[in-house]
Amino acid sequence: MTDQTVNPAPEPSPEPAAKPAKRTTAAIALAALLAAIFITPVVVDDQFVYHIFITICIFAGLSTAWNIVGGFAGQLSLGHAIFYGIGAYAGIMLTNMGISPWIGMFAGAGVAAVVAVIISYPCFRLHGPFFALSTIALLEVFRVLALHFRDFTGGATGMMIPLNIGWEWMVFRERLPALIIAFGMMCFILAVAWWIRSHRLGFQLVATRERESAARAAGVGTVKVRLIAVAISAALTAMMGTFHGMYLTFIEPESAFSLAFSIQIAMFALIGGLGSVFGPLLGAVFLVPITEFARGALGAEAIGLHGFVYGAVLVMVVIFIPNGLMGLIGRIFVPRGTGTKQADEVAAPEVARTFTPPEPGEEIVRVKNLNKHFGGLHVTNDVSFTLREGEILGLIGPNGAGKTTLFNMISGFLDADSGTVEIKGPDGKWNSPTNPADFARLGVGRTFQIVQPFAAMTVEENIMVGAFHRYPSVDDARAAARRTAEKMGLAPFLNAEASSLTIGGLKRLEVARVMAMEPRVLLLDEVMAGINQSDVRRAIDLMLSIRDEGVSIIAIEHVMQAVMSLSDHVIVLSSGEVIAEGKPKAVVEDPQVIEAYLGKEFTHA
Amino acid sequence: MDVFLQVVVNGLLLGGLFAITSVGLTLIFGIVKVVNFAHGEFLMIGMYATFLITTRLGMHPYAAVAAVVPLLFVLGMMTQKFLIEPLMSARNHDIQIFATVGLSTALINLALLLFGADIATTPAYGLRTAVEVGPVRMLVGQIVMFGVAAALVIGLHLFLQRTQAGRGIRAVAQNRAAAQLMGINVSRVYMITFGLGAACVGLAATLVAPLYPTSPGIGTYFVLTAFVVVVLGGLGSIGGAFLGAMIIGLIDSLAGFYIGSDMREVAVFGVFLLILILRPQGLFGGRQTLSHVS
Repeated sequence: MTDQTVNPAPEPSPEPAAKPAKRTTAAIALAALLAAIFITPVVVDDQFVYHIFITICIFAGLSTAWNIVGGFAGQLSLGHAIFYGIGAYAGIMLTNMGISPWIGMFAGAGVAAVVAVIISYPCFRLHGPFFALSTIALLEVFRVLALHFRDFTGGATGMMIPLNIGWEWMVFRERLPALIIAFGMMCFILAVAWWIRSHRLGFQLVATRERESAARAAGVGTVKVRLIAVAISAALTAMMGTFHGMYLTFIEPESAFSLAFSIQIAMFALIGGLGSVFGPLLGAVFLVPITEFARGALGAEAIGLHGFVYGAVLVMVVIFIPNGLMGLIGRIFVPRGTGTKQADEVAAPEVARTFTPPEPGEEIVRVKNLNKHFGGLHVTNDVSFTLREGEILGLIGPNGAGKTTLFNMISGFLDADSGTVEIKGPDGKWNSPTNPADFARLGVGRTFQIVQPFAAMTVEENIMVGAFHRYPSVDDARAAARRTAEKMGLAPFLNAEASSLTIGGLKRLEVARVMAMEPRVLLLDEVMAGINQSDVRRAIDLMLSIRDEGVSIIAIEHVMQAVMSLSDHVIVLSSGEVIAEGKPKAVVEDPQVIEAYLGKEFTHA
Repeated sequence: MDVFLQVVVNGLLLGGLFAITSVGLTLIFGIVKVVNFAHGEFLMIGMYATFLITTRLGMHPYAAVAAVVPLLFVLGMMTQKFLIEPLMSARNHDIQIFATVGLSTALINLALLLFGADIATTPAYGLRTAVEVGPVRMLVGQIVMFGVAAALVIGLHLFLQRTQAGRGIRAVAQNRAAAQLMGINVSRVYMITFGLGAACVGLAATLVAPLYPTSPGIGTYFVLTAFVVVVLGGLGSIGGAFLGAMIIGLIDSLAGFYIGSDMREVAVFGVFLLILILRPQGLFGGRQTLSHVS
């Protein structure tokens, strides 16, 4: 919001004025809510009310920490009690050895972060219910191990802490100090979550959640960012676990490594609003008092009542307000239609230009003897070619010729069976990258034939994910994204959700995201398929202007008009083999090419 | 040697138990593509129903099949209709996880409210009597359960492969939209499938109830193993679930005897995690079942 000088573009109508106002209102509401959480128990000064508000702080903190992995990164962990338990045990064990829980808290956080990375690394290749199942299984393993090694953990009888009262032992006669600590920790966790969500890491996490392959193509280390997220989340959860252990003064495996507890943590986040920074807080504020009152008022007669309420509320929320309380608030206060404007076909800027094909420069991509088999099918048969700097290389061929497979191999998404792909780095050295991140680092950007927008993000945020590849800071990335959007004719839609764009808009967004990475080599996979004639002409101009900036392009295209007027050089692929290559004119007259496209009888026509 | 034989037989009989509790889960997963986290609670409901029928009406637990199986069938259909179907078009599919997790939490605690935390013991009617076959001891109820599990697996397989209704169900599983275009009522197929899956677990409940004490948390105890079995067998594969159940039964029994009874779960879940990570399509799953994983 601070880069108006960089981008003099006309802003889309009501949005910019409305946004700061909305933001201020939200900030005031948040401050009021936080103040209420702290002040209410102090004013009422009742043991039970204190207990409720301390519990709110604890659960809000735990759920916010969970949300970093479960919400931002979309990995629905139902095993977060592992980290909670580690924190609680670390605190109590060290206290029993005479070490303050303030130190134990960080020891537990460290252990939890390491454990989180070790167990998540293999599990992150699982998605949705399978990731959830694997976390449940791990939780069970931890619980059974904690029960089994009773010399270490005290086994089923659990562990007590010695009752040393005072700040250094985190144990108090009064409730106020406990509230201060719980409240402070909750605020700290909220601040961390807010920081993550509003910086590069948060964007990359959401992008990874929405479209993993597109995020990888944009240079996001998808495994790395999720491991960072889970380590932070686990550390914060463990710290809260230490405090909760000290608050309860007792711990045993069944409650520390409890599945029901894990579900509860995740549930508050979902009810409040999955993936929103302050949703989990809202979920805890809303649900904890209800259930604690049920427990306190009805007592032992109503064993199970609070759990029943939890489950029923969860089911209702999932069905009726899947975006949680935050989503509900958003719907009430932001009337539909003002936030997102239906994006329509808007002209990409016309670029008036006279075209002089520049001299092809040095080689920048060398592909040698590439082979790939899918089972018995030889999809890529000994393909070799080179791309020169500032060149547009057209890659054509009938459906199933192996063009996209070739693209996947020269962007690191697929390993070749044999052969090499070499990219010349900015330093002039040749490299043989092996994964999308390496390709992105060397300046190779790609688009996908089937568009892969990050649906839950705005157009601007989509492009920013690409821009973060060059600009780590949010402001720089936003400025770069706006410049790119301007160039691509997407400026009017910056604040629209990506999912509201038309197919032409999505194709441009796909290109814009990769352009924001400022690539040296651009791989375009059928960016013109399915768009109308005038858009094709604009797209051609756009590609030429991109090339004029010194970017080398390989383009898969079926639109012959485009291939002919764009390409400096054309390669024809058929059944995985290069059957012709050369100047566009020469290639289309090649009898072999005509045969491949149209069949034998046309060769003599 | 006799001990080893006994442990192996125990493992296979335990496998029968795991098979019968997992078949419904894998059926629902394979067709409706929903991981039903409330599956264990369906079992728990069936067991309480069996308990009530045997104690209040004085009937044999196996006679409760006539009431419990239809009850669970209807419960399953209702779950699909009112819980899963509204979520099928949701942008975020993971939200279905929370729907069934919420249902599971609500049902466990409802049972706590109604029956308390105490265990309920269904009369055994001689089903807990041991018979000796050579050197090996087995319970009558376990033998019956193994037989029924095998029959159920074969029956379901034949139903899906040979009947018109079964073909319709498989068509829906492979491509929902195309099946719809071919005139199949997809919504009804899903309801029937979910009902069938729940009915299978109802049948399991009447067989399990006389052997195991019933409690509100009993579902969680069985369902985690059922998940292991289903993933091991290849998601949605009914025959695979049976073989997976046998393997897990053997691992459970052998680990319990040779490592220590409290470490059985570590062995079982350890295998589960290895399979999930190294071979997510399951030991016997082919390529087409893999498509659900991504």
